[in-house]
Amino acid sequence: VTAGDGVESLSADAVVVGTGAGGGPALATLAEAGLEVLALEAGPRLSAADFVADEAISRTRLGRIAVTSEGLQSFYAGTCVGGSTVVNDALCFRAPPEVLEAWRREHALGPLADELPGYVERAWRDVHAEPTDRAHTNRNARALERGARRLGWEAGPMHRSVRGCANLGRCNFGCPTDAKQSSLVAWVPRAERAGARVLANARVDRIRVAAGRVAGVDATRLDPATREPRVRLRVEAPLVVLAAGVLASAPLLRRSGIGGGRAGRGFQAHSSAYVTARFAQAIHGYYGPTMGYAVSEFADVNGRAGPGYVLENTAVQPMQTAAVLPGFGAAHARAMAALPHLAHAVVVLRDRTRGEVAPGAAGADPRVDYALGAEDLGRMRHAFSSAARLFLASGAEEVLLPVEGSAPIRSERDLGAIERLPLDRTRLTLLYAVHLFGGAPMHGRRSEGVCDPEGACWDAQGLVVADASSLPGNTGVNPQITIMAHALRVAEAAIARRPPR
Amino acid sequence: VSAPDHGLAASAAADLAPLDRRAFLRWLGALAAAGLLPAACTRAPAGLAAPAGLRFLSPRTWSVLNAAAARIAGPRGAELVATGRVDPALRADEFLAGAPALARPLAQALLALELGVFPLVAKLRPFTALAPEQQDAVLAELAASRFATKRRIYGGLRSIALLGFYAAPEARALTGYPVGSPRPSAGIADAMDWPEDG
Repeated sequence: VTAGDGVESLSADAVVVGTGAGGGPALATLAEAGLEVLALEAGPRLSAADFVADEAISRTRLGRIAVTSEGLQSFYAGTCVGGSTVVNDALCFRAPPEVLEAWRREHALGPLADELPGYVERAWRDVHAEPTDRAHTNRNARALERGARRLGWEAGPMHRSVRGCANLGRCNFGCPTDAKQSSLVAWVPRAERAGARVLANARVDRIRVAAGRVAGVDATRLDPATREPRVRLRVEAPLVVLAAGVLASAPLLRRSGIGGGRAGRGFQAHSSAYVTARFAQAIHGYYGPTMGYAVSEFADVNGRAGPGYVLENTAVQPMQTAAVLPGFGAAHARAMAALPHLAHAVVVLRDRTRGEVAPGAAGADPRVDYALGAEDLGRMRHAFSSAARLFLASGAEEVLLPVEGSAPIRSERDLGAIERLPLDRTRLTLLYAVHLFGGAPMHGRRSEGVCDPEGACWDAQGLVVADASSLPGNTGVNPQITIMAHALRVAEAAIARRPPR
Repeated sequence: VSAPDHGLAASAAADLAPLDRRAFLRWLGALAAAGLLPAACTRAPAGLAAPAGLRFLSPRTWSVLNAAAARIAGPRGAELVATGRVDPALRADEFLAGAPALARPLAQALLALELGVFPLVAKLRPFTALAPEQQDAVLAELAASRFATKRRIYGGLRSIALLGFYAAPEARALTGYPVGSPRPSAGIADAMDWPEDG
C-alpha cells in the first residue's frame, strides 16, 4: 500500500532484518511456525546463474568492506540475500564447550550454554554439514596435512555444508552449482515455501519503538542498479528480528536510540592474515573447496590449551594473492608468476582485543574502533612462525610472510628472523577479519548487556537480535553454525514470548 | 575465512582512508583542486593520453598511478601498461565508483608521490619524470620508511596499483591462473590428487 505521502506501507506478524546466517534460520523458523513474516535485505537477490568466476567482479557485487577508524585492519561481509554465507567457505564447527562455559560464567548465560548445543545439532543437519573427504581435499589442504603429520601436530579435515561439491574453487564467488548450503540455498527458500516474503534492495534505516515496545521498522527501497534511494517503506510489525550482521546491527540499534551506551560495545573478531608457500610441484590452489583442512594444534578450544589460533588452507586466487605477498616490482611479479605452485595458510586468531562498532556519518560505512593489541600481534607472530614450520615440513621451497620487508623463509634456520621482524600493523600486507562478533551482547544482567539470554533486547519488547551481534564474544572456530543455532533458539524463544492473538 | 578478492580493495582502504586526516596531504589535495598548483604540476605528463570518462582521477593522477603501477607490477606488467594493453589507473577509477570515499585520499597520495620532494619523498623531480630505477628507489624508500604515514602511502598505492593491474584478465594470465576456464575438469583432477602424498 502506498500512502499519499509516498511512503509504502506493509504489515506483518514479524519482520526479519537481514537474510544471512542469522536472518535465514530465524526467517524459516518464524514462517514454519505460521507467522506472516517479511524479510528485508539491503543487498540484491542473486542466484547461481549470476555468480561468475571473476574476482574483480565478485568483490563489488557480493560484499562490503569496512576498515577500522584508524585504518590498518579491514572487515568483509556479504551484502546480498544470503549474506556472508554466500561468500564464505561453508565451514562448520560446533560451538566449543569452553566458550559456552565462559559465557555461562562471565556473562550469566547459563540457559544459552545449556540449550545451544541442541540447536547446533539441528543446524548441523539442516545445512548438511559433512566431513571433507579425500575427493574434496585439494593439494593446498594436503600440504597442510603432510606438514602436520610430519610435525605430529593435531590437524584434520573440516566439515562443510555442501551437497555435491564440484571442486570448482568458487565458494567465495557465490557457488555456481548451489552445492554450498548457504542461507540463500538452505534457509531462504525453505522460509518462502512456508509463506515468508523476502524484499531485496530494502535497507532498514530505523527500528521504531513506542512505549518500550517495538512497532516496526522504517526502510528505504534502493534502486537495484544504482543503489540510490527510491521509495520509503514503513513496516508495522509487533516482532522485529534484527540480523543485519555485526557491521550493521549495532549501528542500527544506536541510530534507533536502543541499547543506551552499551550498544556497539564488545565488538570482537578473529583477525586473519595469510602465509604463502611455494612448492616445486604444482598445487593449483584455485581448485577444490576454498577451505577444507585445519591445523588446530595451537587452538585454545576443544580441549586444546594453545595460544589461540588455527591454521587453515585457503584458496589461491590471483588478486587475493597479490594483496598478501610482500614487496613490489620484479620480486613480487616473480612470486605471482609461480601462482600454480603456491599454497596459502590463513591464520584464524582468536583475538583478545575488544572494540566498538558505531554508525558512521550519514550514508557512510560504520565506524569500527578496533586496534589489535600487542598481545594479539605477538600471537600472530607465533602463528606466522608455526605456518612457516608447517610448510617447510611439508616440503615447501620457500615461505613468504605477509610482512613488508620480510625475506623468504627457506629453512628452519631462517625461522629466527620472524622473531626479529618489526610487526606493527602498518607493516602487514593484509590484516583483516570476516568472523565478527558483538555490539549487542546478551548478558544475564540488564545492566551489562543489550540483550537478555534469549536474545531479546532489554530495552524494547518485541525486538530480538539473532545474529553474531548478540553473541558475547568470539568462538575460536568458524562461527557459521554457532550463529545459525543461536538464531534458531532466539526465534523459537521469540515465538514463545508472543502475546496470544 | 577468505573472501572474493576483498584483499587488495581492503588493504587499499585500510591504508588510504586515514591519510585524509593528514593535514599536509589535505592541503596538497586542496591546492590541486583549487587550481593553485603550477600548471606543470597538474598537467598530465607526456606519454599515453588519459582515457575519456575518468570519474575520480584527473589526467595527472591517472598518469602518476599508471607510472607507479608499471613499477609495482614488475617488468612484464610494465610492458602491458606502457603499451596501453592494461590500464590499471582506469580500472582503479572504476573501482572508486564503489568506494568513492577513497577518491580524495588516493588523489592526495598520488600527488604526494608525484610532487613530494625531500624529506617527504626521496626525490627532487616529479615521479613521472624519473627513470624507472629511480622510481623503484622512491617506492622502496616509502616502503621501508620509519614514518608510518609514508608506509601507508606506499601500502595504499601498492594495493590500488595491484588491484587495477590484476583486475585485467591479461594481467592475471601472467600468473599461470587459468583465466576463462570455469569448469576445467583436467585442472581440477590434478588439484585433487597429489601422487607424492603419503
